[in-house]
Amino acid sequence: MENNSKSKNRREFIQSGVRLSLALALGGVGGLALSKVIEDDWVWQIDPFECTQCGRCATDCVMSPSAVKCVHAYDLCGYCDLCGGYLKPDANALSTAAENQLCPTAAIERKFIEEPYFEYHIIEDLCIGCAKCVKGCTSFGNGSLHLQIIHDICLNCNECSIARVCPSDAIKRVPASEAYKVKGDFTNNPES
Amino acid sequence: MKNKGIIIFLLIMAAVIIAVIVGDYVSDRPNRSKPNPFAYDVKEFKTVDPELIHYKESKNFRIGFEKPVAIAIHDDKIYVAGDNNLKCIDLSGALLHDFTLPGKPQTVEVFNQNIYIAINNQILVYDNGGNLLNEWEPMGENSLITAIAATENDVFVADAGKRKVVRYSSDGEFLTEFDGKAEEGVLHGFIIPSPCFDLDINDVNELWVVNPGLHALENYTFDGNLRAHWKNTGMRPEGFSGCCNPSHFTFLDDGRFVTSEKGLVRIKTYKRSGEFEGVVAAPTKFTDEGRAPDVAADSQNNIYALDFDKKLIRVFEPKNNTRLQPGD
Repeated sequence: MENNSKSKNRREFIQSGVRLSLALALGGVGGLALSKVIEDDWVWQIDPFECTQCGRCATDCVMSPSAVKCVHAYDLCGYCDLCGGYLKPDANALSTAAENQLCPTAAIERKFIEEPYFEYHIIEDLCIGCAKCVKGCTSFGNGSLHLQIIHDICLNCNECSIARVCPSDAIKRVPASEAYKVKGDFTNNPES
Repeated sequence: MKNKGIIIFLLIMAAVIIAVIVGDYVSDRPNRSKPNPFAYDVKEFKTVDPELIHYKESKNFRIGFEKPVAIAIHDDKIYVAGDNNLKCIDLSGALLHDFTLPGKPQTVEVFNQNIYIAINNQILVYDNGGNLLNEWEPMGENSLITAIAATENDVFVADAGKRKVVRYSSDGEFLTEFDGKAEEGVLHGFIIPSPCFDLDINDVNELWVVNPGLHALENYTFDGNLRAHWKNTGMRPEGFSGCCNPSHFTFLDDGRFVTSEKGLVRIKTYKRSGEFEGVVAAPTKFTDEGRAPDVAADSQNNIYALDFDKKLIRVFEPKNNTRLQPGD
């Protein structure tokens, strides 16, 4: 009689243990699934305030042409006639002539707005992310042209091959909800 | 025999792993990067014909500011603002006064016994002992004061945020403001793509204002009517490049202009007429991609450049101290 009770207790104990383990496993899987649904994905992002326009975005991305493109903060732009991002330093005229354009792929379009203002538009398909225009705009303008990773092109590699060689550690993983850090308010960098 | 084979295999594996790690380490790391095939090259403009350089650097003063902001010279005393302080030093670099300000200064101007300092877009007036004499009404929400110029009865304030010059009486009473538009469709007003907007008053009481988007210096009456202007666009030594140059300027005591530029950081002098005269400091004198130094001049035509990157006042003296001849 006593033996029967002991073996029953053991059986109950094992049954309860199995039930508990199953409940914990189910809870764990459910929690994991829920966290995957709630949690943001992570993507690569360039901090334009850290970027030093080294040219590696054009040469080291696994995509060809690079998934890094120049983007333009129109609200920051001075709409200058003499645009350091559009014209070569030794341009012989402030014109759209090919020999005066700084961009190696002619990916910037210059459009007259009204005297003396010009608007500059990036043709994304042509841009290779070389940052030549960004360098010109940052040095001689107010930095309205800057680089950013375009996420419908980026493969979101586990280890970004540009981040690996970026000399200023300007490329970081960020939540997908904050994918694009763009300029547009020069109070972020009033000394530029 | 079997064990020996395993040992040889493990040794080969270890060698391969070490080779991969070393290969990865010495590969294309940032500090071993290849030259940038897309480099933005302005080297040819950094070198200036020595014949054009009319000044030499004679000394410099370490000012002890983490963030120097502005420099002004009055009665051969140097006033330099930075951090939360204003320092007054003599021309040999000896500290005369150092007083604490209630906030971070934006710019400084000195006229007679009054020191005008902009803090949080408000002008505060101090005496030489650091006593607060007057506190003007703060400027509007979108204002950004970048320069002040004072005369006997008037004080002009450059507001880069609103792209206007504001005229006050010396007591701080608002008198008028203007945005550089001479008349509809003729002049486009001040074009200020970045906070580089300077103004100053010369030896004959003329108000000159930079229009950086047009690479122009414009002379206005105190009521805001355009009287004269000159401009010079280009990367060559005689021109101004980029969106916002000259970033700073001052006058020598004979009315010549001293300009300071960003991008291609350099300091130059122009005759009263606006004709290019020569170079004070070539781009090679400054940090690559550094900021345009603020400039001031003493009565001997020495030029004092506040180098924001090196946190120094750098003094440039004329190689031949020639004064302008009448008619220049």
